[in-house]
Amino acid sequence: MRVWIRKVNANLHHYMALPAIVLFGLFFLYPLAQGVGISLTDSNGVTAPNYVGLRNFVDFFSDDRARHDVMITFYFALGSAPLLNLFGLLYALLLDRKLPGKGFIRAVVYMPAVISPLIMGYIWYFILQPERGYMSHVLRELGLGFLDGNWLGNSSSALAVLIIVNVWQYMGMTMIVYLAGLQGIPADLYEAAKIDGAGKGAALRYVTLPLLYPAVKINVVTNIIGSLSVFEIIVAMTDGGPGYATESLSIYILRMLYGSFTGYSTAVALILFLMILVPVALFLRFTRKAEYEL
Amino acid sequence: MNRRLISWCMSVVMIVMLVATAACSSNNDNDKASSSASEPAKSAEPSPSPSESTQPAESDKPKEKVTLKFFTGKVETVDLMNDLIKKFEAENPNIKVEQEYQKDASSIIKVKFASGDVPDITTVYAQDYVDQGKYLDLSNEAFWSRVLPAIKELNTDMKTGKQFRAATNVTMAGIFYNKQIFEELGLKEAKTWAEFKSNLQAIKDKKPDVTPMFLAGKDSWTLGHLIEFMAHGVIKQKYGVADARKAFINNESDKLQFDAAGGGIEAFAGRLLELKKAGLINKDALTATYDNQKEAFVNGQSALFSQGMWVLGDLINLNPDFARHIGFSPFPAIVDGTQPVTLSAEDSVYAITSESKHPEEAKLFLEFLFRPENLKTYSEFLKSPPAFTDVSADWGPLKDQAAAALQAGVNIAFTDTPSGFSGDDAGRMVQELLAGKYSSSSAFASAYKEAWDKAWNATNK
Repeated sequence: MRVWIRKVNANLHHYMALPAIVLFGLFFLYPLAQGVGISLTDSNGVTAPNYVGLRNFVDFFSDDRARHDVMITFYFALGSAPLLNLFGLLYALLLDRKLPGKGFIRAVVYMPAVISPLIMGYIWYFILQPERGYMSHVLRELGLGFLDGNWLGNSSSALAVLIIVNVWQYMGMTMIVYLAGLQGIPADLYEAAKIDGAGKGAALRYVTLPLLYPAVKINVVTNIIGSLSVFEIIVAMTDGGPGYATESLSIYILRMLYGSFTGYSTAVALILFLMILVPVALFLRFTRKAEYEL
Repeated sequence: MNRRLISWCMSVVMIVMLVATAACSSNNDNDKASSSASEPAKSAEPSPSPSESTQPAESDKPKEKVTLKFFTGKVETVDLMNDLIKKFEAENPNIKVEQEYQKDASSIIKVKFASGDVPDITTVYAQDYVDQGKYLDLSNEAFWSRVLPAIKELNTDMKTGKQFRAATNVTMAGIFYNKQIFEELGLKEAKTWAEFKSNLQAIKDKKPDVTPMFLAGKDSWTLGHLIEFMAHGVIKQKYGVADARKAFINNESDKLQFDAAGGGIEAFAGRLLELKKAGLINKDALTATYDNQKEAFVNGQSALFSQGMWVLGDLINLNPDFARHIGFSPFPAIVDGTQPVTLSAEDSVYAITSESKHPEEAKLFLEFLFRPENLKTYSEFLKSPPAFTDVSADWGPLKDQAAAALQAGVNIAFTDTPSGFSGDDAGRMVQELLAGKYSSSSAFASAYKEAWDKAWNATNK
C-alpha cells in the first residue's frame, strides 16, 4: 500500500495529464471514430443508415463541385499564407526598434485579429458591396467612380478580395509571433555581424531570418490550418458566391450536411482533416531536420 | 515503468469512454421508454403527466409545472409571439413557453432531432420528417372546422391523408410594382411574357435612373423562389394543386419533366438571361441583398420585384408614405400559352412533435394562438390574411389588390423540395446562371434535374 502511494506520488505529474487525456478522448477521438463510422454509410440523418464502404470517398473524387471547392480552398490558402507571413514579417521588422508610436501601430495592426471573422466579413461587405457599398459612394463623391468595380460579383475577383481581407485581418497575428521571435535574437549577434562587415541586408539574411525559423514554423503551420479551414469570412462576404465561385470545402461540408447527405459530408470532413494534416505533418517533418542543421 | 504507465492510462481512458457512452445511450433509451409509456396514459386521462416537475408530485396538486419549447424560424414574429406567450402564461400559470428563434431553423432542427433536444412545438415542417413520424397527428382537432378548406388541404400530408400541421395565415407571392410609375407610363399589369418585357423596356427607356426589375441575388432564397413560382408554376397550373404536390413529392418525372425543351425550367433560364442581356435587371443582381431590394423599391429606385406578401410589413415600416403606391400582380406566364400564376399558400404553420412530453399543453398553446382575437392581432401585425374563417382582420393596404391577383392568376402552392436540394441550393444554381456559367438554358435545365434527382434519391431510398 505504501509503495503504491509512493509510486503514485512519484508519477503525479503523469496522472495530472489524465483529465486532459479523458477530455481529448471524449471530445476528439470518440467523435472522430464515430465520424469515420458515419462516413462509411449512406446516412441522411433521418432514415436508418446502410453500410456503403468507401463509396462516399469515391463519389468525392468524381464530383465536379467538390473538386472545384478543393481548388478554391487551395487557392485561398496559397494566396493567404505567404502574404500573411510577408506582411507579418515586414511589420515585425518595422516595429522591432525604438519607434515613436510603436505600441500604437502594433495595436492597430493587431486589433482586427480579435474581431470575429464573421463580423469582419459583414463590415467589409458593407464597404465593398458593388454599386451600393460605402467605398462605391466615397469613390463617386470624389469623382473617382470609374475606379469602382464589381469586386464581389465577379467570380475571378471575389476570391482575391477575400484573400486581401483575410490577410488584412490576421497579419497582426503573424506579426506578434515574429516580434516575439525577433526579440529572442541576442543583440550581440548583430554586433558581431556588423564587425564582420555585414550591412542591413546581410544582417537580415544571415542573422535574423535563420534565427526566426521557429517563428516561421509556427506561423506557417497556423496559417495552413486556418486558411484551409476558412469558413466565416467567406460566408459573411460572399456566401460562397456568386454561384459556387468562392465556395470553400468547409462551406461545402455544411451544405451537404444540411442537405441530408450526412454520410457524404462526414466523409468530406475527414478528407479535409487529412488535407490539413498531411501538409502540416510533412512541413514539420522536413523543418525538424533543418532546425538541427542550424 | 513508462510502458506500464501508458497502458494503465489507456485502459482508464477506455473504461471512462465506455462508461460514458453506455450512460449516454441508456439515457436516450430511458427517455424513449418513458415518453412512449406516458402516451397511452395521456390519452386515457386529460390531466397533464408529471414528467418535468420542479416540485414533487402530490396527488392533491392539480397541475405540475410544464415547460414548452417553441422552435421557430420566423424572424418577423419573434416579438409578437413573446407578447402572446406572456398572455398565455398569465392564463396558464403552470405552463411556461420558451421561444427559440433560429434563422436557419429548417437545418438546425436536424441537429435537434439528432441530439434528442426536440422542441414541443415548431414552425419547421418537412415531408422527410412527416415520413419519419416526427409530428403529432392533428387531424382530429376541433379547430379544423374553422379553417379555410383550401388551407386544410395544403396542410394535409399527401402520403397519409392526415394533418400534421396547422396554418394560421395565407400568404401570397407575385410581382410587387410601383403603381405611380405604371400610371405615369400608362403601363398595365402584364399577363404574357411579351407584355412583361415590354413594360420593363418602357421603364428602362423612359426612366433611365430606375431599375426595371430588382433581383436580390446575394440572398439565394429569393432566386430559388423565382424558380418555385415562375418555373414550377408552369407545371403546377397544368395539374392543379393536389396532383402537382403529389408529382413533386413523389418525383413523377413524366409530369415534372424538368429537363424538357420548352419546359418551365428551360424557359425560366432563357427568360432570365433575356432580361439580363437587355439590361432590364439591376447590374449588381448577384451581390444585392433582400434589404437592398426592399429599400430600392420604397425609394423609387426600382419599379418592380418578385416577392411574397411577407415583405409588406417591412416595406411599410421603411417608408409609410409609400404604401399607397404598392401594386401587386400575378407572375407573368413565362411559357407562351400558359396562364399567369399567383402563389396562394399556407403561412405560419405550427406542428407538435411526436416526441414531445407535453402534447396536451402544446395543444392548449395552439388553441390559444388560434383564438379569433389573437389571430386578428397576428394577422394585422404580419399584414397577412388569416386562414381561419371566423377572423376578420384588416390585414393591410393590399387587401383588394391581393384578392384581384388571386382571381387573375392560377393559384399555385409552394414546392415540396427534397432536403438535399432546397430553394437556397436552386438559388445558387441561378446565381451561376446569371454569372454565365451555363452554356445554354437546356444545360441549366439538365443540371437542375440532375441535382433534384440526386437529392430526392438520397432521402427516398
